[in-house]
Amino acid sequence: MKPQEHTASAHNFEECMKCTICTAYCPVVPVNPRYPGPKQAGPDGERLRLKDPYFFNQALKYCLNCKRCEVVCPSGVNVADIIQSARIKYGKEQPKLRDWMLANTDFMGHLARPFAPIVNGVTGLGVTKTVLDATLAIDKHRTFPKYSYKSFEGWLKRRSKEQAKFEKQVAYYHGCYVNYNNPQLGRDFVKVMNALGYGVQLLDHEKCCGVALIANGMSQKATKNAVHNVKALQKAVDAGLKVLTTSSTCTMTIREEYPGLLQVDNSGVRDSILLATRFIWQLLESGQAQLKFKKDYHARIAYHIPCHLEKLGWGIFSTELLKMIPGVEFTLLDSNCCGISGTYGFKKENYEASQAIGKPLFDQIKSVNPDFVACDCETCKWQLEMSTDYAVKHPITILAEALEY
Amino acid sequence: MKNNEYDVIIVGGGITGAGTARDCAMRGLRVLLVERYDIATGATGRNHGLLHSGARYAVTDQESANECIRENMILRRIASHCVDETDGFFITLPEDDLNYQTKFFESCLSAGIHAEIMDPKEALRMEPSINPDIIGAVKVPDGSVDPFRLCAANMLDAKLHGAQVLLYSEVTGFIKDGDRIVGIKTFNHQTHKTGEYYANITVNAAGIWGHHIAELAGVNIDMVPAKGALLIFAHRVNGIVINRCRKPSNADILVPGDTVCIIGTTSTKIPFDKCDTVTVTPDEVNLLIEEGAKLAPALASTRILRAFAGVRPLVAADSNDSRNISRGIVCLDHEKREGLKGFISITGGKLTTYRLMAEMATDLVCEKLSVNKPCETANAPLPGSDGKSFREVAQKIWDNPTTGQKAAAGRLGTGVTNIPAASSLDQSLICECEQVSVGEINSAIERWDVNGLRDLRRRTRVGMGPCQGELCSCRAAGLLAKAHGCTDRARADLQRFMTERWKGMYPIGWGDALREAEYTQWIYKHVLGV
Amino acid sequence: MRFDTVIIGGGLAGLTAGISLQEAGRKVAIVSAGQNAMHFFSGNFEDAGPVRDRVAALFAAAGVRTNATDGLQLMAMGKFKNVSLTLEDVTVFPDEHIAEKVLLVNFAGYHDFFGTFIAETLENLGISCRIRFVRLAEMESLRTSPSEMRSVNIARMMDEYWEKVVTDIRVLHKDEDLILLPQVFGLKDAAVLDKIRKALPARVAFVGTMPPSVPGIRTQMLLKHRFEVLGGTFLMGDEVTSAALHEGIISSITTRNLDTVRLFADHFIIATGGFFSKGLVSTPTQVYEPLIGLDMDYSEDRNAWYNEEFFESQPYMNFGVKTDAELHPFKDGEPIRNMYAIGSILGNTRKEDFGTAAGLAIRTAFAAADAIKGGNV
Repeated sequence: MKPQEHTASAHNFEECMKCTICTAYCPVVPVNPRYPGPKQAGPDGERLRLKDPYFFNQALKYCLNCKRCEVVCPSGVNVADIIQSARIKYGKEQPKLRDWMLANTDFMGHLARPFAPIVNGVTGLGVTKTVLDATLAIDKHRTFPKYSYKSFEGWLKRRSKEQAKFEKQVAYYHGCYVNYNNPQLGRDFVKVMNALGYGVQLLDHEKCCGVALIANGMSQKATKNAVHNVKALQKAVDAGLKVLTTSSTCTMTIREEYPGLLQVDNSGVRDSILLATRFIWQLLESGQAQLKFKKDYHARIAYHIPCHLEKLGWGIFSTELLKMIPGVEFTLLDSNCCGISGTYGFKKENYEASQAIGKPLFDQIKSVNPDFVACDCETCKWQLEMSTDYAVKHPITILAEALEY
Repeated sequence: MKNNEYDVIIVGGGITGAGTARDCAMRGLRVLLVERYDIATGATGRNHGLLHSGARYAVTDQESANECIRENMILRRIASHCVDETDGFFITLPEDDLNYQTKFFESCLSAGIHAEIMDPKEALRMEPSINPDIIGAVKVPDGSVDPFRLCAANMLDAKLHGAQVLLYSEVTGFIKDGDRIVGIKTFNHQTHKTGEYYANITVNAAGIWGHHIAELAGVNIDMVPAKGALLIFAHRVNGIVINRCRKPSNADILVPGDTVCIIGTTSTKIPFDKCDTVTVTPDEVNLLIEEGAKLAPALASTRILRAFAGVRPLVAADSNDSRNISRGIVCLDHEKREGLKGFISITGGKLTTYRLMAEMATDLVCEKLSVNKPCETANAPLPGSDGKSFREVAQKIWDNPTTGQKAAAGRLGTGVTNIPAASSLDQSLICECEQVSVGEINSAIERWDVNGLRDLRRRTRVGMGPCQGELCSCRAAGLLAKAHGCTDRARADLQRFMTERWKGMYPIGWGDALREAEYTQWIYKHVLGV
Repeated sequence: MRFDTVIIGGGLAGLTAGISLQEAGRKVAIVSAGQNAMHFFSGNFEDAGPVRDRVAALFAAAGVRTNATDGLQLMAMGKFKNVSLTLEDVTVFPDEHIAEKVLLVNFAGYHDFFGTFIAETLENLGISCRIRFVRLAEMESLRTSPSEMRSVNIARMMDEYWEKVVTDIRVLHKDEDLILLPQVFGLKDAAVLDKIRKALPARVAFVGTMPPSVPGIRTQMLLKHRFEVLGGTFLMGDEVTSAALHEGIISSITTRNLDTVRLFADHFIIATGGFFSKGLVSTPTQVYEPLIGLDMDYSEDRNAWYNEEFFESQPYMNFGVKTDAELHPFKDGEPIRNMYAIGSILGNTRKEDFGTAAGLAIRTAFAAADAIKGGNV
């Protein structure tokens, strides 16, 4: 390579032309003036931090890591990666108990699940919410995601023999949410895959993808999880399996953040981790499989694309699948962050900002007035169900409901 | 005494002139400094910004080396806000002679430079950007010094001690009384007015242009203009100065300076009539990149911001003159040399040794004026310096400084308290790359003799970042228009400024630099309609 | 994934072509590597000439109103420029005598609007111009961040608080017959412009600011929305990594995000822009088109790329991909018969036929869309 044939810098920060487009689209900037905006926090700040780490600014913690800056950047700068890397490299703040609890989704889920009826009852109580608000700074407006009494893993393990009967097999990275909070989505996924002629198996013990750990400044623990998960995924890939997912955020984290932020090499598994919607769309499109839908199915669906799915660029698979279902009236909502961004919106100090970020989306949903909203992300679901009067369903759940049988 | 009479007139607003003005003023003399453009427009503002440890000269010139290390230590004390104590490495590459390192090391020690031979692996750990193929490394107390800041601080302190400074005033001739220079004639490039100023002594501190000044006075200094080209990279690739451990040659020093790093130089003799219009050729750019990448391989793929060139004021050997006490610094008493009274030339030297040059010139001035006051510049800190790092400065003033306040503390040291910050309007950023606020710009306009955007850049770093003025120059032009009450002047100034920025960009006009240029052109032509 | 046409590049050229094709019932996908130069749009469609009415109609259907009037635009730094088609945000003046007396209103601490420059131009024309500032309490929170007094941030607030500004201006207004305001209104909906015009006691004109351009961003959003409502697929933040080219025909392209799911189409349009947008890439030794390696029209001698004078036209801006009369680009000397190159990727290579800047974008966009609709390949 001749000198200067190309230039390279960490996360391409030097390709920034200072056009400020990222800041114009950042959902945090309009609602939190303490946040310096992606251009200043990212490429501008990086130059200063390279001069002296003293230029690290604690306000970087206000970044949602929604990646919208990266999606709109005309220069290909990985703005959010620059910001998150800086937090990992320079951030000194120890996570608070509250952040620790919110970040350790699998640990909390593991603890809470056997006591789910009690936990759900208690976290649903006004008095508990007030206590959480006061002691842990978890905003009292929040409805804590319900924990399921029975985990998805247990449910699927009990059906492993029946799943093994299918000639074609896929592995499923279900994530913490499906396991502890919404096993129904996992069951819907299994139903759809079985209808397509595929049996579903678990990975050899998956761990939380680590997205909440990264967001809450616990990157070392996230890295441990990443190393573990890559090994578990590799085992499935070596066995010739595709690994499907239903969470767009887990998928983005495993595919993009492991190598980009945590420096965990995922090259052996990356191409085999696919969102279920993508895998299913490809099966149907290529004619390798068919789905039979109910004749009388009818639904007016408004689709919200989650930030991390937009970053992956795979929203099209969910929307195309939904459009394939006969009887669906489909509206694409304008791309707009809902404001929750994982654990961000749960924190008391972020509540107002979180709701303000999502307001244009809430308003649009109300004006469209669908039967329900479709969305691939669990945390968007919490936010939208709390902030609007509409139910939010995962596209896989919608497929399962529309299936004939 | 008339208001155009002084004890001493100093010609030249570079670091030598500013330092001499400060020293003279501190010794109680009535001082006038005249500069044809702005401060630091010659060689002062057109070099690496290396605070030499002297190591570079240790093998060839022990005297210069010893001067450097002594002045290096003094500047750390008196100019702490201009100096970054980075240290430096002299690295040996496989194609270099490792025996030279031994000679180099011993020469450093004998010149009084604290050098330390390092395990190459340890050197790489300390400075990961160094070429991993190195076979030897010596650590020396090099540093980085901001020449604009240093020059401005000297100028400000001279003024605080009563000196007068006339910028944009070119010396057009001398007023003689027999065999004595008694004054100067000037032409002001902004007001287009001529002036006459009188003094017992005139000090020629005009760098390479001193050759011409001496000619005007009727004497000859045999100067040799040598052009040096350099490249600025868009961020700090290295935190520690990297030198090549061999006989001084092309592109063998990489210096981190503020937010950037600078590789240089080349050395080419040029005619005097080209000194004002030096440009960097594609061959020079190629050479700098290729040689630079041998020091730090990352330079081959790091964005380049600009190319620029300066002219060194080298003086041909002047063996007849006993005052030529060092091959580096040249202080000429023209009375002894040619019988011309009232005229002194101070030239040669380095940025690092400017204070010593000023002391030598001022000693001679004082001797001639029979003033018996010792030099104090080695002990008195410059305005803004209190020997503390910018972190400590910022931390002392603000509980939770903003990024802009940290950057300003880096530029101004304790002088940062002069920036008005009462209102949020003052904290608004004009230059986002370098974090320069409205308050800092207004304060520079008020305190630092700012006539236009280029002057403002030298004092604040406005327009020195990756966008090269695309965003900030219009905003700053608005503030200047307000301060000077003239938008026509500000508009013309803006055009000159962007042309000057472009002059440094097109020699490296490819890749991201060309993208930035296209974007900037679009904005100015189609959006702003300049 | 199969489409009738795949367009690479979602700026003014790509969106105009995409909408035009979707309106004709074609199935179109646009792959856009981030946002684009619409964000720096002055609102003036320079050189639109022959397609003026078509642009106005296409934009009107998307909810973007335009002025198809010959006249003068008052530019951000106080100069005048000839226009024949502009966004509605731009007031078109018949001549330089734009008023008897002008009240110019800016926001305190907003440095991206150059009121003093505009005022002096007007004074030189014998038009008196008073500059006044408004300072809303609601805007104080913006100042917490020293970099937030920028066009988009103010515009976002103004969508909500424009009436308060109007109230303040009514107090400031004396007998002026024209009020000048920065273009920081109507980020979401241009209706605010009309409301302001109606609520003030004199004519109102909006003058440009430093980018990002508020009218440009709104236009971009409305055009993208229109394209999607028509059924178009907009792949934002994705990049084309390769194209399958065989005997002068491209059958499919591959993108970074969709990787193995290739995009197949009968026609392809390349609208990836100039150097800024990376439609063209330069190195110390060459200028090239990075996606397909299309044949270029440029000088190999780097010394010939620049004019030393910044404000003169720069030779590198003439560089672009080579095309035939139908805008088919070439690869290794052979035209690609089902691909069209439109917009800034052409540089000034087709200036005589299609003009420059925004005019080039829309004129080539229509030319390509028409050719595709005509069905020639």
